[in-house]
Amino acid sequence: MPNEPEPIRHFRLNGRNCAVPAADHTLLVETLRETLGHVGTKQGCDGGECGACTVLIDGVARLACLTRTGECEGHEIETIEGLAAGGRMSRLQRAFHERLGTQCGYCTPGMIMAAESLLRRDPHPTETAIREALSGNLCRCTGYVKIVEAVLEAAGAG
Amino acid sequence: MNRFAYASPATVTEAAAATGLVAEAMVTFDESAVLKAGGIDLLDLLKLELLTPSVVVNLRAIKGLDAITQDAAGNVAIGAMATLSQVAEHPLVRGSYPALATAIAGAAGPQLRNVATLGGNLLQRPHCWYLRSPAHHCLRKGGGHCFAIHGENQYHAIFDNHACAIVHPSTAATALVALNAEVELHDAEGATRRLPLEDFFVGPDDDIQRENALRPREVLTAIHLRKPASGTRMAHLRQGEKAGFDWPLADVAVVLAIGPDGVCREASVVLGAAAPVPHRARAAEQALQGRHPGEAAAGDAARAALRGATPLSLNAYKLALFETLVRRAILAALA
Amino acid sequence: MTATRTEIFSAGIVEAGLGTVTREIPAGEPPPWPPNAELTWIGKDVPRLNGRDKVTGATRYTVDVRLPGMLHARFLRCPLPSAELRKLDTAAATALDGARAVIALARPGDRLRYAGQPVAAVAALSPGVAAEALAAIDAEFRPLPFVVDMDEARAPDAPLVYDEASAPKGNPSGFPAAPGLPVVGNVRGPAVVRRGDPAQGFAAADIVVEGEYRTQVQTHSCLEPHAIVADWRADGLTVYMSTQFTSGVRQELAALFGLPLNRVRVVVDGMGGGFGSKSQLGVYGRTAVELSRLAGLPVRLALDRHEEQIDAGNRPGTFQRMRLGAKRDGTLTALAIESHGTAGVALGAGIGFFAERIYTCPNFETLQHDVFVNAGPGCAMRGPGNTPGAYGLEQAIDTLSERLGLDPLALRDRIDPSKARREERRIGAERIGWSRRHKPGADPGAVKRGMGVAQSLWMSNVQTNVACEVRVLRDGSVEALSSVQDIGTGIGTVMAQVVAEVLGLRPGDITVRIGDTEFPPGGPSYGSRTTASITPPLRTAATRVLAELGREAARMLNAAPEELEAREGRIRVKSDPGRSLAFRDAAALLRTDRISAVESRADDYPGFRRRMPDAAMAHEDLGGVQFAEVAVDTETGAIRVERVVAVHDCGRPINRLLLESQVQGGVLMGVSYALLERRVMDRRTGLMVNADLEHYKLAGVHDTPEIEVVILENLQGNSATDAYGIAEPANIATAPAIANAVYNAIGVRLTSLPMTPDVVLAALGKTGRS
Repeated sequence: MPNEPEPIRHFRLNGRNCAVPAADHTLLVETLRETLGHVGTKQGCDGGECGACTVLIDGVARLACLTRTGECEGHEIETIEGLAAGGRMSRLQRAFHERLGTQCGYCTPGMIMAAESLLRRDPHPTETAIREALSGNLCRCTGYVKIVEAVLEAAGAG
Repeated sequence: MNRFAYASPATVTEAAAATGLVAEAMVTFDESAVLKAGGIDLLDLLKLELLTPSVVVNLRAIKGLDAITQDAAGNVAIGAMATLSQVAEHPLVRGSYPALATAIAGAAGPQLRNVATLGGNLLQRPHCWYLRSPAHHCLRKGGGHCFAIHGENQYHAIFDNHACAIVHPSTAATALVALNAEVELHDAEGATRRLPLEDFFVGPDDDIQRENALRPREVLTAIHLRKPASGTRMAHLRQGEKAGFDWPLADVAVVLAIGPDGVCREASVVLGAAAPVPHRARAAEQALQGRHPGEAAAGDAARAALRGATPLSLNAYKLALFETLVRRAILAALA
Repeated sequence: MTATRTEIFSAGIVEAGLGTVTREIPAGEPPPWPPNAELTWIGKDVPRLNGRDKVTGATRYTVDVRLPGMLHARFLRCPLPSAELRKLDTAAATALDGARAVIALARPGDRLRYAGQPVAAVAALSPGVAAEALAAIDAEFRPLPFVVDMDEARAPDAPLVYDEASAPKGNPSGFPAAPGLPVVGNVRGPAVVRRGDPAQGFAAADIVVEGEYRTQVQTHSCLEPHAIVADWRADGLTVYMSTQFTSGVRQELAALFGLPLNRVRVVVDGMGGGFGSKSQLGVYGRTAVELSRLAGLPVRLALDRHEEQIDAGNRPGTFQRMRLGAKRDGTLTALAIESHGTAGVALGAGIGFFAERIYTCPNFETLQHDVFVNAGPGCAMRGPGNTPGAYGLEQAIDTLSERLGLDPLALRDRIDPSKARREERRIGAERIGWSRRHKPGADPGAVKRGMGVAQSLWMSNVQTNVACEVRVLRDGSVEALSSVQDIGTGIGTVMAQVVAEVLGLRPGDITVRIGDTEFPPGGPSYGSRTTASITPPLRTAATRVLAELGREAARMLNAAPEELEAREGRIRVKSDPGRSLAFRDAAALLRTDRISAVESRADDYPGFRRRMPDAAMAHEDLGGVQFAEVAVDTETGAIRVERVVAVHDCGRPINRLLLESQVQGGVLMGVSYALLERRVMDRRTGLMVNADLEHYKLAGVHDTPEIEVVILENLQGNSATDAYGIAEPANIATAPAIANAVYNAIGVRLTSLPMTPDVVLAALGKTGRS
């Protein structure tokens, strides 16, 4: 069954130019995980409820499982792999690490990306704002307490 | 998900022409072309293979469709492609239509609100679990009956539910109907028409397979809101099972025009998650009009709002819940 | 017998005052540890050692494993709740370009018993081709009568899920259900536990309390789905699997495929949650391996969310009828419970041993029944049995205390023999402000606040089939190895702390290599047993390696080996710390590149209460007391849990940060169980209608109460580390504590879960038609 070649999509991924084949129906989460091997972005629910696939597109938190790769043409995409610039953890990552914002860790990349998008537009958010920013992300292990503490700490440290 | 081609026209007219039928997720389930706004609900339906279009027509490339503008008279137009985040945070919306801002800010999660559009939100298909289940061939999908009426109907309609018990999923619609919003529709010949949002929604008695009146080759382009009269007060309240990111069990929008004498001139009371379309509670509105609204009037209106309800086996709790929300929304509007 | 020696251990609850206990222990065991305050790393807040990988996205979960040539597998599942398979023709699927293996999991004529039951599986070059291959399978199902509701299934004329011959048989260990019980209709049982004479006990009671409680089916809803990558090769099988028990899966695979144990390797790095549902190989695991064997290529099989919700295990629902007899002073005279529960087509829907063990009651009886329905098989989930069991009993105790006019804490002080829980009640009452608690329903206004308490009990499990290895290399690097897997609780960090404590190093100096059956068998991550099982042999192994290192160092330092200690990165003479060697320099003296010690789990020093194959139960149960404060909106029915104080014990706490996180998670899972989660089966079609995370509702960040965690240090002198587990106790008490708080708020008792607004409004009599 000969397939038509998939069109090449161009976007910036974690600060680098990226050209990758993707069909019209291909989802960004598939492109990231399957084609590019960026498996830090997770899939949890297949339906937009768990937030594990949260990435930043032009700095805004979005779900890679509900974004077609084709729509990313010309845009700036950031994933969890891009946050630790030069191997140094970002302040959010450090806070998640030190305050134990992780347990099994599966929700962590999405959680951090959702928090990252908040801190970029609101560097000193209230706890209420933090909870709202994380309300699209599910965690089954930690009880969220230390996740919220971690974001608060990162915001304070900023 | 089936394979589909993808078109990104630059104008609304081209977009309308590209579709055999219409609008995001607003077609019967096997249509060949659909319009895509934010694409949230569309992708969901595609993944479930409840939609298997051959072409998806993207509206994103069309410039200006996401604008939020105010005319000289103070009326506001919200482009259908404005995202929920944009709308909820926009000063014009927050300033003049706080009930709309509240209704939208409580919808979905932040990542979705960054993508989902107001137009798409109004046109999304219901989230009835039988409708969304490929295994249940329900009336709305051309099947023989509504599974909810004698099934698991705890989240379903308490009004107009004798044929199909879906509830309209949009909390924005609840607020917009209460605000007497109009929708602007654009067809493939470049003509536009406007009609009240309230009339735009289609109940099961009129057409069991669609939820709105969008015609073939027509695109929803804008939502128009009149400048609120002075003395207008409004509120939107919702109650879900979860404290965040959950479909409401009930939501209520109230818009009151209060005269300088403190008498209610006009009242809009609309219930969401109550009926297949946003449900205007006329009896409640009448209970408020011409009165000095307060605890007593709010209580009367709340009771009146539920008159004529026909709850199903598992959703009679919604009566008490709506009664509370209507009363509280009226009082919140006045506060 | 091996030689022994006598040691005096600190014993008791540190917070309440310590005593000592004298133990005769095997001569090879390390000396007693003092309380945590005198230790360097044990009991401290050490962040997760692999935390960096988790926050940078570097952790590799099973769903992330990609092997060259890897195929993608999918299941064909039964679309009906009950059916006879009439036809299964896989020829077209096999012939499909890109399909590499197709297997049938059922034969024509077979009875299929739940919607979602696997019927066939394919492996293909891509997920897309696998889906096409599934569609090419020609399967015909003849619908049969079915029942998905437990109450309907108990009716005499209900469609039968099994006949007596085909019904599951139970297990010699009694878990999840005992063998040899009668099956009548869809009801199997009762499993009976009886002591004393309940009838006499009730006759002697001054007061009898009765109640009926119902709990829902909860799904585990792990964020990482069940997943496996199986790589069958001529020289052996390697399996990457999201599993709670690498060595258990290895045993299952070896037995099933007739392979020697040394030709089967099971590996897991990151694990995205399990909660009991990833304890066995499972049909999906077996299927992936079989497909790989047939195709001669690696096969990846990961469930999608829908499959995950319908066929990856669940916590059974229960209906409990309870009678409680007591004297006026609170002394219990009799306790009788009859329960019916459903684990779908499986067994194990009991209410556990909570009622049997927690309170002193001379006359006791439970009759527990399993009810079969046409739904996906249940399995163990965080505090299996005890979690629903506590929901019933702890409310009955609350009711009894009110009827007696006793404070619920005072009643428990009278009937609960646990010293740990007594202390936990005292501390918790203080933290929550129990003295502020008012009479039921006393709060004026529409939103009523209330406070409640409930208790936890879980057995102190120990896996005896556990070993680990500690290595010191000549450059001073140290490794700790075991097949134990990190389900997310941070066992690797705990291991590093133990080794660091012994060797006088920092936890970060220890390389922990786990989650691979190439290392000594580490035991399962279930039953709250991991820390209890692995830390004692680890300490012993580290002590032995240090002794070997010490012999070399002693020569250099002109001291006797027993004069030395390992502290702050140095080996030094205890009486003269200035005479010392850096650990690294001591290691350089080794005659070989690497020394190592492997140790297995010794028995607890005072022995065990009960032994099973590969496992045992320590004498003292785990406790835990939780207090909840709620606000109930009596006009909307919405319950908000505002605050939970959770006071727990787990022997010697090793890492408070990790423990707190686990308790907070257990509490939130309990909040979610209490208020939100519920599998909804459509009774007319027999299908689960909320098999997603949209309508199956998990608590989110907005639903999280303030959670205050207190962990006692409860020393018992039981093992080289004296540490036990925490996972299940953290979950067991939450729902009943909330239920009791709701009662205190509104003065009306809710007796079913989840306590959603409709349930609350109904209990308040507010669902009448207007």
